Amino acid sequence: MRIREHPILGPAPERRPITILVDGVPVPALEGEPIAAALLAAGYRIFRRTTRHGRPRGYFCGLGRCTDCVMIVDGRPNTRTCVTPAADGMVVETQVGVGRWGKGTDHRGDAEGTEGSP
Amino acid sequence: MDADIAIVGAGPAGLAAAVEAARWGGRVVVLDENERPGGQLFKQIHKFFGSEAHRAGTRGLRIGEELLAEARKLGVDVRLGTVVHGLFEGRVLGIISGGHTTTLRARRIILATGASENALAFPGWELPGVMGAGAAQTMMNLHRVLPGRRVLMVGAGNVGLIVSYQLLQAGAEVAAIVEALPAIGGYEVHAAKVRRAGVPILTGHTVLRAEGAEQVERAVVAAIDAHWKPLPGSERTLEVDTICLAVGLSPLAELAWMAGCRFAYERTLGGWVPMHNEHMETSVPGLYVAGDLAGVEEASAAMEEGRLAGLAAAASLGLMPQAEAKAALAEVQERLEALRAGPFGEPRAAAKARLAGQAVQPAQPHRESGTGFPACPPTGGEDRPESQPHIVIECTQEIPCNPCETACPAGAITVGEPITNLPRLDPARCTGCGKCIAACPGQAIFRVEPAFAPGRAAVSFPYEFLPLPRRGERWTAVGRAGQPLGEAEVLRVAMPAAYDHTAVVTVAVPPELAAEVRSVTRRAASQSSDKR
Repeated sequence: MRIREHPILGPAPERRPITILVDGVPVPALEGEPIAAALLAAGYRIFRRTTRHGRPRGYFCGLGRCTDCVMIVDGRPNTRTCVTPAADGMVVETQVGVGRWGKGTDHRGDAEGTEGSP
Repeated sequence: MDADIAIVGAGPAGLAAAVEAARWGGRVVVLDENERPGGQLFKQIHKFFGSEAHRAGTRGLRIGEELLAEARKLGVDVRLGTVVHGLFEGRVLGIISGGHTTTLRARRIILATGASENALAFPGWELPGVMGAGAAQTMMNLHRVLPGRRVLMVGAGNVGLIVSYQLLQAGAEVAAIVEALPAIGGYEVHAAKVRRAGVPILTGHTVLRAEGAEQVERAVVAAIDAHWKPLPGSERTLEVDTICLAVGLSPLAELAWMAGCRFAYERTLGGWVPMHNEHMETSVPGLYVAGDLAGVEEASAAMEEGRLAGLAAAASLGLMPQAEAKAALAEVQERLEALRAGPFGEPRAAAKARLAGQAVQPAQPHRESGTGFPACPPTGGEDRPESQPHIVIECTQEIPCNPCETACPAGAITVGEPITNLPRLDPARCTGCGKCIAACPGQAIFRVEPAFAPGRAAVSFPYEFLPLPRRGERWTAVGRAGQPLGEAEVLRVAMPAAYDHTAVVTVAVPPELAAEVRSVTRRAASQSSDKR
């Protein structure tokens, strides 16, 4: 959920609306905001899944240190979405385990293969 | 040599160091891995404590803007998106920037890398929806995205209290704050702000587990005994989608470890801290530390430490006359001492002295706040005739803060030296103008007019939530614990630019409630337009 009005900060600053692709689904974002911000604003909370049990992980430290929010971004695995600015047309994919290089790898096949997680 | 002084970290400490060093003509480079400068300063949207010299009463983000503008004016080279991954022999920094590695050599290096939040392990802590309180603060105040709708805060130190308040300001609900210790660790004024907004603070409680299949759906909390064991039967389930952890910070000290600095363990400063002298130089000559890395405190202290490091580094390079350096360093140290005075600061001052290798007396038994002596009761106004308007100052702990003193045009409020003194009100001088209400960073000052009109009293208080009350509206008056007390008619809402978004709201309430009403809420507001 976006905070449009704020008692101290006033209305949200104008930023160019863009679209990123999250697991193939177009998601609205604002240019330059961290990918994690766009995802949380759109209601996404699961950013990656663990290798063995497919357990969900998401935004945790917001500083680029804990690596819980890493995803495959434009084919680059282990990208820290809390410190990586969103750009128009960016391809963002849920990462499983340590991820794979390359866009559009069959990450969803991976996820479905682990303990029946969605 | 690539630079006279290289500074790692563009937060409050790093920027303040850069400004001081650049003022004396040094070639200063500041490196920061983030895309924006300011470190955590720009998400600090509350008014800072401290003295006039620390820009007290100014919101953190505005201090950040000023510091950044000053650094740019002085020609400081701030390189963002630049990771410093190592510190090597000969004061060489290993750098990653734009996907490439390179190095930078400097004659002096100042590390101002800050701190990171501690985690807390409990069943379910890895679920999406559990996050650092600072992480939530970043998301809402910098990126304008609400990280959750209903939140449990774990930890009632200043971070937990301030972030809870800011979650409310951003439009979230805070179901509760749990604190394992028997008392609130942060400032009472911060606790008071969230309490009167209706948030329960459960001391002697902890989070047992987070529940939910794919993300946080509930939190189970429980009371704990003196051995930190949950008390059977005290479990309570809270419907929350987010759990924020505010359980302390640890210095980000990797580069200092790598450089071979001597370290010491200081619990009050966040754990292992590089030892440093009173001018912030570590055991490695030419290597300085400042800010949270040198011991976790707050941004005002970080900026002063940055100034010390910047001045000391510039002086050691001969960039400034020794006499001038000495005087400037002494002046900053004096301000730092003021920030570390009082019951909250003294343990930190003692730890800092130990880090500098100074012989200090064994730490005096220090009361954890809220235990031992009771807090001083609110002061002011009691000896005025009951019918007269008067100011009530509910500032009961010795924290370093004095904006109320300078805000008063009548000179009726005295804090004096040290600035940890509790404010004293001279009722004879007080005109009841209320300028102090918005100036107090702790929002602890109120105006009470017992006989505003026949059968009606007026109470004025600070208010920083949306929607703002409007004149003529009827809201629910609440007390210090956020409990509803009755109906309040809004008489005035003052928010001149000088108040910087703190509104001073005046409401009419029944006279018997004047000493109890401290805010208003829309919760369970009565539909009472028929009574008007």
